[in-house]
Amino acid sequence: MHGRVKVRTSEEQQLLKQKEQQKKLIAYRLGMKQILQSRKPDSYDPECLGICAQLLIINPDIYTLWNYRKEVVLLEIKTSNKDEDGEEKLCTFLENELKLTEQCLLANPKSYSSWHHRYWVLVHHPKANWKKEFDLCTKYLSMDDRNFHCWDYRRLILNKVGISLEDEIKFSTDRININFSNYSSWHYRSTILNQENLHDELKLVQNALFTDPADSSAWFYLRWVLSHSNVLKEDKEELLGSLEQLLELEPNCKWIVIAKCWLMKNIYENTDNSIQNQVNCYTRLKELDKMREGYYLDCQKTVVDDSETKE
Amino acid sequence: MTTLNDIKLPDNSPTVLLLDKHVDFIQKYGRSEDDYEFGMTDYLRMSGMYWGLTALELVNKLHCLPKNEVIEFIQKCQDAETGGISACIDHDPHLLHTLSAVQILCTYDRLDAIDVEGVVKYVASLQQPDGSFTGDKWGEVDTRFSFCAVATLTLLKRMDAIDVDKAIAFVESCKNFDGGFGSRPLSESHAGLVYCCIGFLSITGRLDIVDRDTLAWWLCERQLPSGGLNGRPEKLPDVCYSWWVLSSLTILGRLHWISSSALKTFILACQDTETGGFSDRPGDVADPYHTVFGLAALSLLGHNSIKPVNPTFCMPQYVIDRLELKPQMLQ
Repeated sequence: MHGRVKVRTSEEQQLLKQKEQQKKLIAYRLGMKQILQSRKPDSYDPECLGICAQLLIINPDIYTLWNYRKEVVLLEIKTSNKDEDGEEKLCTFLENELKLTEQCLLANPKSYSSWHHRYWVLVHHPKANWKKEFDLCTKYLSMDDRNFHCWDYRRLILNKVGISLEDEIKFSTDRININFSNYSSWHYRSTILNQENLHDELKLVQNALFTDPADSSAWFYLRWVLSHSNVLKEDKEELLGSLEQLLELEPNCKWIVIAKCWLMKNIYENTDNSIQNQVNCYTRLKELDKMREGYYLDCQKTVVDDSETKE
Repeated sequence: MTTLNDIKLPDNSPTVLLLDKHVDFIQKYGRSEDDYEFGMTDYLRMSGMYWGLTALELVNKLHCLPKNEVIEFIQKCQDAETGGISACIDHDPHLLHTLSAVQILCTYDRLDAIDVEGVVKYVASLQQPDGSFTGDKWGEVDTRFSFCAVATLTLLKRMDAIDVDKAIAFVESCKNFDGGFGSRPLSESHAGLVYCCIGFLSITGRLDIVDRDTLAWWLCERQLPSGGLNGRPEKLPDVCYSWWVLSSLTILGRLHWISSSALKTFILACQDTETGGFSDRPGDVADPYHTVFGLAALSLLGHNSIKPVNPTFCMPQYVIDRLELKPQMLQ
């Protein structure tokens, strides 16, 4: 049970609730029994399919019910092959399946089974409208841009519609500009970015960092961008200078100090001055971020050990 | 500007482990067939039983539940045709519940109760040409299922039944820019799936694939000022992530990168002082799922009234020792 707040109720309310729950439980059990006993390899009972939809709208995690529906879909496909206007009938049937998954997803956008069923139905659809599906993804992501199920689904659809990577880069830039604090967009970007020229990328991430230095998302992305060997030295030096300025405005922001350490190690390697600066930064981080003291201690030790091996 | 997504622990939060209450909670949970919560969750019963039984065994109270009934139930849930095991009677076999059943039987030392060869055949039948695994015959691919497959087969000592190298290549292809792992190639990192992939690599002895310190840093950044851990950046803390993150950090030898005392305070605050059991966050409804992961996390933190737990399998360490299994762990 995630995020379900415990509510205090009077004894009377509780009794009433229990009665209602008993009714629901009985209905659930009757429905399940009827559906599961009706399962046959060569035919199905439309009434059971209706009950099945009702149960799934209440709880889309009952995986066996989705399996039952897939069996029914396969039966419908078989029948449609024998019939002259079979394809049309099949399409109507499958559109209803899609509607059901939509209802389930609106109530529970994190239901693995509903997402899978939707994709499975579309794959079996003789006239699947992938473009519409893709637009739906865009719309859902504008409602909740952290739903990883929807991002994953978008990636599946992408292969079907033939959208170009440039289009997707633009989409991720738009999402990031709407909301810098969107780890999912940054992640998505890391999977499609052309990593040959990182000058502009560094500018984009820097813009995000300076808009909201307390937000962690862009800092994780920065670390990754800096890990590429083709980032220009002058770009790194310029960024380090800007971070020094930002730190004056936000002296208690740990992310700026961490990023300074990455850059110093990256640009100056192990000059004495840089080692001392990094050691000082980690000492400062231990004060700023007590919880991760053990991490900073290990980092500090690595800096010192590395410099000693070099000597 | 960002306001950090976190909670404030209530002032009157419990600070000690309410052991007896938790035992009571788990024992009562399955007792009444007419209990609403219990009745409505039959579609995840087998995993639910694994959570409850493991929680009890970690506090040495497994004998409180009727062993023979549990074993009979598992037997009835094995599908004669495919060999897979379902969540409950008349439901379909699935890899998630197959692993849960095998874990329970290992703890009871009663693998003889089921058709082991059937299980092996079932797991192997779900491997795809790219090395990935589906959860059942209907085709959903996810790294959760890669973990379930190798965990099940290792407990049964039958890893020879699958193409391990291909399975590893698939998990490796799910590695991300932040060092984490997602459910499929290019999917966003998520602490639950990080656990599945780290657990998978620990079982297959291939932790060399991990960008250890990049990932461990991302993991230790899951700890919020409340002491709790979240599953992805900017999300709320939740007791179950205490397990997914902590077990991964333990396997990577980086448990000391978070504050144990702050996490302990958070987990203890998620106990329900009336009913017993743990919830995801203080003040929410308790359930067996958060109870086992709360207790298992406290075990990793060295709580002395809980038995040592194995971070890879989330089973009592002595059971893993009895099976003579040594999943890889970094120092």
